[in-house]
Amino acid sequence: MTMATKAAAGSAASWRRERGYFILMMLTPAIVLLTGLILVPFVVGFGVSFTDYILSLPPAQFAGFGNYLKLVSTPEFWDALRVTLIFTVASVALQTVIGLGLAVLLHEETRGVPVLRAIYLLPMAVTPIAAVFTFRMMFNPSLGVFNHLLVSMGLPPQDWLGTGNMALFSLVLVDTWQHTPFILLIIAGGLASLPGEPFEAAKIDGATPWQIFYMVTLPLLKPFLAIALLFRSIDAFKTFDIIYVLTAGGPGTATTTLNMYAYKQAIEFVSLGYGSSVAIVMLAIITIVTQIFLRRSRLLTVAD
Amino acid sequence: MNDDTKGKSPYLSRRAFGRTALLTGAAIAAPAILGRAAFAQSADALKDYTSANIDWKREAGAEIMVGGATHPWSNAVTPFIPQFTALTGIKVTTDFRSETEFLTALPIKLASGSTTPDVFMYLAYGQGITAGWLEPLNAYYGNKDLVDLAWYDEQDVLKPAREYPLWRDGERYAFPITAEAQTLYVNKAMLDQKGLATPKTFDEMLKVARALKTSTTAGIAMRAKAAGNATFPLTGFLYSYGGELMKDGRVVYDSPEAVAGIEMFTTMLREAGPIGVSNYDWYEALGDFMQGAAAMTSDTSNFATDISNPTKSKVSAQAQFAGMPTAGDKPSRPNMSCWQAAVNAKSRNKNAAFLFMIWATSKATSLQTSARGLATTRASAWESDGFKKAFGPQAAEAAVLNLKNADADLAKRVRFHPQSPQILNELAVGVSLALSGSESAASAMKKAAAKANAALRT
Repeated sequence: MTMATKAAAGSAASWRRERGYFILMMLTPAIVLLTGLILVPFVVGFGVSFTDYILSLPPAQFAGFGNYLKLVSTPEFWDALRVTLIFTVASVALQTVIGLGLAVLLHEETRGVPVLRAIYLLPMAVTPIAAVFTFRMMFNPSLGVFNHLLVSMGLPPQDWLGTGNMALFSLVLVDTWQHTPFILLIIAGGLASLPGEPFEAAKIDGATPWQIFYMVTLPLLKPFLAIALLFRSIDAFKTFDIIYVLTAGGPGTATTTLNMYAYKQAIEFVSLGYGSSVAIVMLAIITIVTQIFLRRSRLLTVAD
Repeated sequence: MNDDTKGKSPYLSRRAFGRTALLTGAAIAAPAILGRAAFAQSADALKDYTSANIDWKREAGAEIMVGGATHPWSNAVTPFIPQFTALTGIKVTTDFRSETEFLTALPIKLASGSTTPDVFMYLAYGQGITAGWLEPLNAYYGNKDLVDLAWYDEQDVLKPAREYPLWRDGERYAFPITAEAQTLYVNKAMLDQKGLATPKTFDEMLKVARALKTSTTAGIAMRAKAAGNATFPLTGFLYSYGGELMKDGRVVYDSPEAVAGIEMFTTMLREAGPIGVSNYDWYEALGDFMQGAAAMTSDTSNFATDISNPTKSKVSAQAQFAGMPTAGDKPSRPNMSCWQAAVNAKSRNKNAAFLFMIWATSKATSLQTSARGLATTRASAWESDGFKKAFGPQAAEAAVLNLKNADADLAKRVRFHPQSPQILNELAVGVSLALSGSESAASAMKKAAAKANAALRT
């Protein structure tokens, strides 16, 4: 090896080393934050879920899979899972239909559309908890605006949050108001990026607008729809603020979702062991469903 | 340089200098002068405390944090805290939050071994004792530097409040800071209009509630939300029918007597309550009554302060305060509760914290806070003119009657249990199901009691 090649090899090694240091330096803040805020709490929570830890009755004893066995044999857990699934499916389905419809309607560059687009995106700009408190006032049976409108139209006032089904419906309504713009935004972005040729070809072939939507637009939008569905489903599955403020899981347990159930157990009843096991099961459900969805939809697969 | 500034000296004239110097001197001296004036005023007020044989200055320089809920107690005590600092030299910071936020965060904070808050408002007494979060106080009461028992006059503390913080081993872990008893509030004008009298029994109460229910007005509004802290009113119904929440360490709110009480509570609300009552917390019930949207309500005696205040309440002139009704020949058993304040077992300033509580619950401070409408635990404060004026003489009379009829032991059995939040939550959920009509009271309470008992570890 000549001196020149040795020097070149040395400098390449030093460059690689420096590059390694640089990458490490750039990643350190993120690694520290992720470790502190996600990894450590997860490991602690996972560990606690195998104990019978109740804050007011220390010390904690190792309970093996006791909490998990108790969980699957507790009707309230299955009830909470059922409520969670109903809320998630109803919310996401409604938001997808409305979001898709609005995105397609607002895709046309006609007069007034930019203003409408801005208006439809407004709910996303509102702080969620502030919006929920406002809805709480609007749902108030005697002083709220919803019942005022119903009565002024000659319709009977409704007990929006007072009966099981109605309360669940009201929660879906608020979630839909708040999050439809998110789906609208993703699908509108997708629509803007679609190639024009398939649409022109369809028009030349004499397809009706409905046929174009169903046979061209929708298949081309599938990846965008899939992303929107995935994000919203995960989000809806772990919704907390809307439920906590509007119904606190009631009446009875009619709107107690898994997240509310975990909160009640771990924070209200300070039963950290059992509460943690509910949270871990929630995490497992979300992870498994997401993985299945990603594999089926091939969202993360790069095409050859 | 323009014409305006031309010829003006950049230096101050003698007169301007004199004026500036005078103003500056006054500005510097003002806080000291005002401070002395304030101190002179507070020194006068401090006489009631300095007459005690307590070494108030022994912890001078210490700093304590007082944590609590935004509540009539914290609202009433806060303005007088500078007086405590002047008396003791102890600096006090406060951390008062909404009740739900405070009560949710506190156990987590205490369990983490936090040294603050040094003093905190507390409800779930048993939870705190078994977890070791509350400092045992008997030894402090025995320290002559910290308390002058003759001056403190514990006999002046209302009996149910005095007995409330006594743990089964005779140890005290907290100071009772408020005494609340369930009171019946009626809108006399609405009752008069229909020729109805203030109900004395639950059957009469149901009849009145039904008679006054219209499409715009509820016959009665009470909190009935499916949450443990919404169980205060329904518990008075349950007690008055002869039921109990706990007996011999087991949950017994499915007994026939308890079910009869729940049956009456839910029937009343279902047939004469406002639409949406199953989601009502105390502020909705109070709001409806104060706005004239409900003819009756039954809740803590503390409601009286707001109901009697004409700037807050539309019904201040027509509201009447009454004793808890009776069920048949059974005695009236209104629910009662005492907010308590405890010293953090991990606090670094326990003596200073104890001194704060002795000051806050003393006769002198209670007289001052009661004049702001606070229902303290002291008989002398309840009898004072200031309190009667702020709280309303009739309201005070009703609250005293209800406090006398209340059974502190019944209330303590559940509040002192380490799993009281869960026990009360199951009760609330059961009652919520009975109220919705989806289950009978007997079946809902049976399931609720079974669930609560299954969760009990002790």
